[in-house]
Amino acid sequence: MRAVGVGRTRVPLGPFFVGMLVLLYLPIAVLFVFSFNAGTTLSFPLRGLTFDWYAAVLGDAALLNAARNSLVVGVAAATIATVIGCLVAVAVLRFRFRGRRLLLALAGLPLVVPFVVMGVAFFLLFVAIDLPRSLLTVAAGHSVIATPYATLILIARLGGLDPALEDASMDLGATYPATLHRVVLPLMGPTLVSAWLTCFIVSFDEIALAIFLVGGDPTFPVFLYGQLRFAQRLPVLVAMAVLLMLATVALAVVALRLRARSE
Amino acid sequence: MLGRRGTLKFLVGPPSLWLALFFLVPLVLIAAYSLRAGSGAIGPSEPWAPSLEHFREVLGTPAFVRLLGVSVLMALVIATGATLLAYPVAYFLAFRAGRRAPLFLTLLLVPFAVSYLLRVMAWKLMLGPEGGINSLLSTLGLTAEPIGLLLYSRPAVIITLIYIWIPFAALPIYAAMQRIDRSQLEAAADLGAGPWSRFWRVTVPLSLPGALLTFFMVFIPTVGEYVTPALVGGTDGIMYGNIIGGFFTRSANWPMGSAMAMIMLALTLTLVVVGVRVVNFRRVTA
Amino acid sequence: MRTPHPRRVPSLLIAIGLALTACATDQAGPSQSAAPEPDELLVLEWGGYEAEDFWTDFRTANPDTEVTFEFGDTDANILALMQGGSQADIVHFYTGWQQFYVDEGLVREIDTSRLSNWDKVPPDYQALGQIDGKQYFVPWDWGFTSILYNTDEVDEVTSWDALFDEAYAGHVSMWNDGPGAVAVSAYINGWDETNLTDEQLAQIEADWIAQKPLNAFYWSGEYTDLCPAVQDGTVWVAYAWQGCYATALAAGDPVAYANPEEGRNSWVGLYGISADTDSYELALEFLDLKLAEASCGNAVSLFYYGCANGDVMAAIDDPILIEAFGIDDPSILESTNFTPLVTEEQREAWTGMWERVQAN
Repeated sequence: MRAVGVGRTRVPLGPFFVGMLVLLYLPIAVLFVFSFNAGTTLSFPLRGLTFDWYAAVLGDAALLNAARNSLVVGVAAATIATVIGCLVAVAVLRFRFRGRRLLLALAGLPLVVPFVVMGVAFFLLFVAIDLPRSLLTVAAGHSVIATPYATLILIARLGGLDPALEDASMDLGATYPATLHRVVLPLMGPTLVSAWLTCFIVSFDEIALAIFLVGGDPTFPVFLYGQLRFAQRLPVLVAMAVLLMLATVALAVVALRLRARSE
Repeated sequence: MLGRRGTLKFLVGPPSLWLALFFLVPLVLIAAYSLRAGSGAIGPSEPWAPSLEHFREVLGTPAFVRLLGVSVLMALVIATGATLLAYPVAYFLAFRAGRRAPLFLTLLLVPFAVSYLLRVMAWKLMLGPEGGINSLLSTLGLTAEPIGLLLYSRPAVIITLIYIWIPFAALPIYAAMQRIDRSQLEAAADLGAGPWSRFWRVTVPLSLPGALLTFFMVFIPTVGEYVTPALVGGTDGIMYGNIIGGFFTRSANWPMGSAMAMIMLALTLTLVVVGVRVVNFRRVTA
Repeated sequence: MRTPHPRRVPSLLIAIGLALTACATDQAGPSQSAAPEPDELLVLEWGGYEAEDFWTDFRTANPDTEVTFEFGDTDANILALMQGGSQADIVHFYTGWQQFYVDEGLVREIDTSRLSNWDKVPPDYQALGQIDGKQYFVPWDWGFTSILYNTDEVDEVTSWDALFDEAYAGHVSMWNDGPGAVAVSAYINGWDETNLTDEQLAQIEADWIAQKPLNAFYWSGEYTDLCPAVQDGTVWVAYAWQGCYATALAAGDPVAYANPEEGRNSWVGLYGISADTDSYELALEFLDLKLAEASCGNAVSLFYYGCANGDVMAAIDDPILIEAFGIDDPSILESTNFTPLVTEEQREAWTGMWERVQAN
């Protein structure tokens, strides 16, 4: 697909994009620098270079556990939210039925409710059904708040797919589920990946809800928030945050490779 | 064998069940709290009697109503800013990045995997009175005093929120741009339309639904935003969501917090419905 | 099953919601434990306090016990969570809120004869955990509240009204808490904070609304919000606990901790045992061992807070901590105002007032 667009214009889109990336990565660069700083506060001047903090990360079982929890919860919540978003997108765009608008509204409504309110609401729910708080409850909560993002992104994409393709497939004898599986999903592939990644990220750094729903096993943001009270633990936390970002990049690259391979 | 119609149950069933249990029920619980008599810390086991006293109190406190209005306005500004600035980003991804688009997209989203708390701490380092930006400006002789505006103010909240929304806002626009049939652009070019003309008459109208989705996606949660105002807003940038959070966490007054949340919900939904009517829903889901 | 008609869905959901609320009402009532206690504890704690440093003696004595934590970040939140049905066995909160826990039947009496470290707790602190002569709470951490100020920018602070001084506009930071604000106003005006009239409260609200622009920001997290801002020079005058004072002193920053003429404030952290707990014996042991030298001492060395174990406090020899706690100056404690008990009406009025201040 060759890039056809505004052609040779003077609009500096490339530099604009690069500028955006620079702004986004500036604080990360700062954190990266401080993860090697021998001092324990986020202030200049730097007090010497060291790998100690990264070494300390590897030895800190609680820290690694919290990171692992966030990854697990993120994957679960993102998967559930993306599946729901996908089902809703197909249902709403390809069918006419009573309650179509209601379903769409339902999938989008979690956006309106502040996380702290959702936190209390979930707390009440889980107390009422006597479900002890755990990573499961966090994943459930996160899947709900991530659903609107997945739904909106997938609707934006699916809306542009020509239904004629599906009709053609059914004319050739495929059932509708098979059509969805073999025709629609592959076409939506890249968008599914972006939706999933977005949901993962929403869950990964979420704290307001998690703090209400986490049981004995904290997610990384909850753990981080508690640990920030210890002034001397800051550099290790920064090192961990940098490592987690690299892990997310690796995850995303793997997802991209898988998608590329399937083309 | 499932026909088209039969599949519908499987498409609608699971999401409805999941969302009904894990979203609607909690929401009903909050609504129940907002409508109960009595305030302060009330356990769910205490007898429930209906009352509008909290709604009356919220709507009868000018400061709260004003703050809601201010928050809505801020959200409008932020949504507009984010959508406008995300547009070139999406355009770049859709029309310029070619095969690298997924990679660039990933690069855009990945910073959000780093704890927001830590990123804000790093930004404060740079924006603070002795931080990098102010040092640079004073070294260059541009400012005599550190700029207070960049931190602990309402503009700081607006700028920060626009900044963090842009990558997410680019996604629906990008998705919409991806579905623009290139042949339409080629046809326009063949008919003699110049680049700007093609942009305004083909690209923009076709990507408008995506832009509108983005606008609402940003606007809706921003009305109730409280994390960023708490971190960078100072006393000036406090938003309605902070007060809701305050009633829940600082005051142990769940009924009041719930009432404020329900009012905000009602207002936001009304604005969205009006907005969607104005824009014509069909264009978004066509 | 046919999918329900969309129009019936809302009523269905309301029914489910109310049913669940009704279910929650069946949660009351203590559990019958004829069976042996489970070897696990759930503690409702403040972020950071779950670190094993603060209960290391218990961990050593009970290596297999499962100790898990729920989190709250304000006294109000923690009370609300307990009332909302938290299953925590142990709860940690601060002075001023004791009466609510007792009135609501959230805690049970503590048998201090089973606490081996109880005699190390000074009688004044023991008394703070008593309601109507019964011991419901065990004190653990404590500290002062006063004005922390930057000596390079600010002349010696002698009164709480430094927080209202226009000369420091843009460089003040007040704690984001209504009862705290009311206490400060009461000190400045010489009013009895447990007996404020409506007019006095209205005056307090107006004063704090006027004070609002003087702040750079209201702080919520001591080490996350306040300390960095004090150290980088954004904040010159702050309502603060001594944690940031000690941190800044250790870093060599130009700070001082005021001894206002109205007296400092002091707060004490209290632990209670849930009335519904299945693990009373284990909880007693947990609290007892928290008072032990290592666990209690870590509150001092890691958070720069005081600890209720008198022996630990007497053994402090770090000059920075001696300075921060004013150990060498007994007159400080004598003039200190300890946070009094607060009634439900007062709490509601004060917190509601503070939200209005925030919104203005």
